[in-house]
Amino acid sequence: MARNLGGFLVLILAISICEAASIFQPISDSHRSAALELFSPTDGTFGSLEETYEALRTFEILGIKKRPDISTASCQSVSETLGSSTSSLKDVFHALKVNNILKCKVNDETFQGVAKRLKAVLNDASSLLDFYYSIGSLVLIKDQNSEVDVLLHDADGVFRSIKALSQSDGRWRYSSNNPESSTYAAGLALEALAGTVSLASSEIDQSLIVTLKNDIVKLFDSIEKYDDGSFYFDEKLVDAREHQGPLSTTSSVVRGFTAFASVTSGSINVPGDKILGLAKFFLGIGIPGNSKDFFNQIDSLACLESNRQTRPCWDSSPTQSAQPCTVQVSVPLILSLPATVLSLTKKDQLKVKVNTVLGSSAPPLTVKLVRAFISGTKDSSVIESLELKFDPETAVHFLDVLPKSVDVGNYKFVFEIVLHDSEDKNVYATGGQTQVPVFVTGLIKIDNAEIAVLDSDHGSIETQKKLDLAEENAVSLSANHLQKLRLSFRLATPRGNIFKPHQAFLKLRHETKVEHIFVVGNSGKQFEIILDFLGLVEKFFYLSGRYDIELTVGDAVMENSFLRAVGHVELDLPEAPEKAPRPPPLAVDPSSRYGPKAEITHIFRAPEKRPPQELSLAFLGLTLLPLVGFLIGLLRIGVNLKNFPTSAVPATFALLFHLGIAAVLLLYVLFWLKLDLFITLKTLCFLGTFLMFVGHRILSHLASTSAKLKSA
Amino acid sequence: MSKLLIFLTLIPLLPILTTSFSPENPSGRRVLVLLDDLALKSSHSVFFNSLQSRGFDLDFKLADDPKIGLHRYGQYLYDGLILFCPTTERFGGSIDLAAILDFVDSGHDLIIAADSNASDLIREIATESGVDFDEDPAALVIDHSSYAVSNTEGDHTLIASDEYIKSDVILGSKKIEASADIAPVLFQGIGHSLNPSNSLVLKVLSASPSAYSSNPKSKLSNPPSLTGSAISLVSIVQARNNARILISGSLSMFSNRFFRSEVQKAGSPTKHEKSGNEQFLTELSKWVFHERGHLKAMNVRHHKAGEADEPTIYRVNDDLEYSVEIYEWSGASWEPYVADDVQVQFYMMSPYVLKNLSTDKKGSYFTAFKVPDVYGVFQFKIEYQRLGYTSLSLSKQIPVRPFKHNEYERFIPAAYPYYGAAFSMMTGFFIFTAVHLYSK
Repeated sequence: MARNLGGFLVLILAISICEAASIFQPISDSHRSAALELFSPTDGTFGSLEETYEALRTFEILGIKKRPDISTASCQSVSETLGSSTSSLKDVFHALKVNNILKCKVNDETFQGVAKRLKAVLNDASSLLDFYYSIGSLVLIKDQNSEVDVLLHDADGVFRSIKALSQSDGRWRYSSNNPESSTYAAGLALEALAGTVSLASSEIDQSLIVTLKNDIVKLFDSIEKYDDGSFYFDEKLVDAREHQGPLSTTSSVVRGFTAFASVTSGSINVPGDKILGLAKFFLGIGIPGNSKDFFNQIDSLACLESNRQTRPCWDSSPTQSAQPCTVQVSVPLILSLPATVLSLTKKDQLKVKVNTVLGSSAPPLTVKLVRAFISGTKDSSVIESLELKFDPETAVHFLDVLPKSVDVGNYKFVFEIVLHDSEDKNVYATGGQTQVPVFVTGLIKIDNAEIAVLDSDHGSIETQKKLDLAEENAVSLSANHLQKLRLSFRLATPRGNIFKPHQAFLKLRHETKVEHIFVVGNSGKQFEIILDFLGLVEKFFYLSGRYDIELTVGDAVMENSFLRAVGHVELDLPEAPEKAPRPPPLAVDPSSRYGPKAEITHIFRAPEKRPPQELSLAFLGLTLLPLVGFLIGLLRIGVNLKNFPTSAVPATFALLFHLGIAAVLLLYVLFWLKLDLFITLKTLCFLGTFLMFVGHRILSHLASTSAKLKSA
Repeated sequence: MSKLLIFLTLIPLLPILTTSFSPENPSGRRVLVLLDDLALKSSHSVFFNSLQSRGFDLDFKLADDPKIGLHRYGQYLYDGLILFCPTTERFGGSIDLAAILDFVDSGHDLIIAADSNASDLIREIATESGVDFDEDPAALVIDHSSYAVSNTEGDHTLIASDEYIKSDVILGSKKIEASADIAPVLFQGIGHSLNPSNSLVLKVLSASPSAYSSNPKSKLSNPPSLTGSAISLVSIVQARNNARILISGSLSMFSNRFFRSEVQKAGSPTKHEKSGNEQFLTELSKWVFHERGHLKAMNVRHHKAGEADEPTIYRVNDDLEYSVEIYEWSGASWEPYVADDVQVQFYMMSPYVLKNLSTDKKGSYFTAFKVPDVYGVFQFKIEYQRLGYTSLSLSKQIPVRPFKHNEYERFIPAAYPYYGAAFSMMTGFFIFTAVHLYSK
């Protein structure tokens, strides 16, 4: 239940917002275009026969001529379904329904066969759906082929066995072994019972029909209601097998109830406002987005409307054909306004249309404007009982000029439909009085607008400037925290009364985009706001500088609502104390947050400065000079190698010793050129050992020869 | 027989193959739609059909259905959630505020539509997403200057707004191209404000400067809490884990009635045959469900100039080449992403090099630069954050070493005098040893 409640709330909400209270528009061209959109065949068919029927029926009701041509494919599937003995009851039923519209060529034998099969099913049927499909199919066969014998000889018995499934509260069970009762099933049962009555070969027991009428009244006791006056049926038990939404439940009941009403005589005690409420429920849905819902809506509305014509009743049995079909269910009339926003300045006419739910014209009638009052105040009416004129050409009831007492504002108009023909009163449901919210708008005159800077102490005017609020202004003012700013203007309605708009804001925007908003109050005739800067210093966060002033005045009924830049004021406020509040953070433009960053390139360390190569080479030459000097000196001294050992062994050692030294020196050169320290040290190790050995030998040899020389 | 066996073994694998929210396939296909009333399924069918036609598998449930749940056995059952249940005070089943936040925290997408009389629960979810709805339960956004002209609705709460964010990735490029004649978007509902310090939430559709949020039936004595273009009508959030959220203050803006209705903005002479809602919300839903603006980067490569292999270390002053491939998810496949503002950083504590990448328009981005003469542990970093795109954050660590001892310059002309001096001394020494030892 709670779930449903939530659902209702949304629907109520949707209706109350979207439809702006209780205006219901009858079916119009937008429904027709939506129907063509929703029911679009794929590959020349609509899928199942049920969907085909729904599409065809919707097109038929809406009078759409340019419907997609699907008759060949559908007729083929109809004759296949009817010809086969294994096709399900449901398919047979829908095939016959399609055939009813398309008038396919089905031969008599096929009908005979189907009728025989259906009667067999009917004899041992126990579930409600079996009854519903078989009886419904038989009725359809009767309409399509008069040759076939479809009359029921035991109509009373069938009637009783269907009635046996009914519950005390007017609802029905699907089958005897299923204890759950459903409102949806009640609709199916009523339709089946209506079929039984029309198929009966002899008059049905009147007492049965009387009890059934009571059941219908009980069923209508369980009807539920929205705030806007629409009525609907819903399942009590939402978890019931195959939960149906309120729309399909309501449409099932409407179908069954109207079918039953059309085959019986005598009245069923259902008040007209409930019928109207049901119509409002279907219209309040708007345009459903799903083909099933769309069909349910349109078909139910057609059921409600078709009561008007004394339509060919289902039965043409000899017993009842003598009586014409009388109407028991009243036809709802829908009062709608093409426009509920009326401009006083443009002298819009108040127009009212009265139609049936499907948009066809109503019987002669007069629309009375019973009263009108400003919404929110119930008592004071501005208009008392006015009769609207009728324009037969456009079928519109209209009021030429709104009376002088109607000024701009938000009104509730209460209409009443008065039918001319008293006969019609039994046929149509008008629903008594209809309340419609109407907005009367107009251009508001703005004058006496001025802005001034006042001295705080005396209230004397320092600077004062006139404003023309019809266009942008660029007033420039300056003030300090000891002064006041006053803005005033006057608003008047087209009728000359004072106008109080819903929105009258003064906005001050600092250079840093910090905004302050003030509501401009009205004192009697004048709208005035005085900003005492001394009290506002803290609110302004001690921000001195330029403040742009903007004035916004707007109302739902004001046609010239505006947002105007007035100018700016240069404010000189004291320095902020330490504990002053900081201005709030401001919204950042998202695009600034996401842009690419500036490129960064690394700055490399600059290489050291070096002398030019020539200088280095010159100094290289200089460093070589001492060696040259040394060589020259040696030559000048006259060096010789006379002391070189002459015997073979010391000479070899001497040679090896000097080769060793040369090798060490060469190693140093190689170290400079390419070798690393490890290889150099390793090699030096060997060379050093070798050098020590040969050095020791040659040096000791030299020492011994020189010692010999000395001693000699 | 064997075929049957293979088939049977594959059956348990099917759900894994078909339904997985993975980095390889960012737009998950299963969406849970929670409704207040199943009638919404029919009244908002155009929006749902557009999702279904794009391959989404919508699961419609009543919000208080006791059987609903977002995950089972530690696995999420859905990839997205649509909350079209503004009045729900409590969800049925195992769903609550924390469950929804966990759902988003694990990278799933969410669409919230509120309405006047939105429940505290819906408001709380919005607040947790960084959006604050007007606290007054009866408040509606009113705009006396840019309302939609209508014959039957005179209270100016039906707003026609064309102040939406300029972003191709969020709203699709079609809208921007046809900018000469854009139909305004119809909105009727409550406004919200964004916290300026929250950088993840963005205003997509904002109100005009003359709008305000208040109860249209009562008189104003204090300034309304939300006014002007600070009012956000529709906002989006992209969380740090790339989960996306769409928050709208109006449920009816998704309805068929608004999608199909013709619209004329007050003060404008043009009457559009169809409102911009369908395009706006369809494009926005593409963004929310990651059919656009979802990037991935792969194949990050770097190497020394002239080489092909990736080194484990760079030396200061090396010349290197860096490349990465970036693709955008189009709803069905990964398409090369083309932009000229992708940047790479060579980063250690702060970027040493920040360079724009060049692209070959086939998804590959590349550049070349010299390693700075500072050694340490560096990172190649791509921090790509653009409006509406998922953020790319890649980093790859790479050490940089100084010169080895033998990598310095060896034969410096300026040092020739020193070398000359040393070698001349060595020559002199050699000659001197011979002369000293053997001269008489």
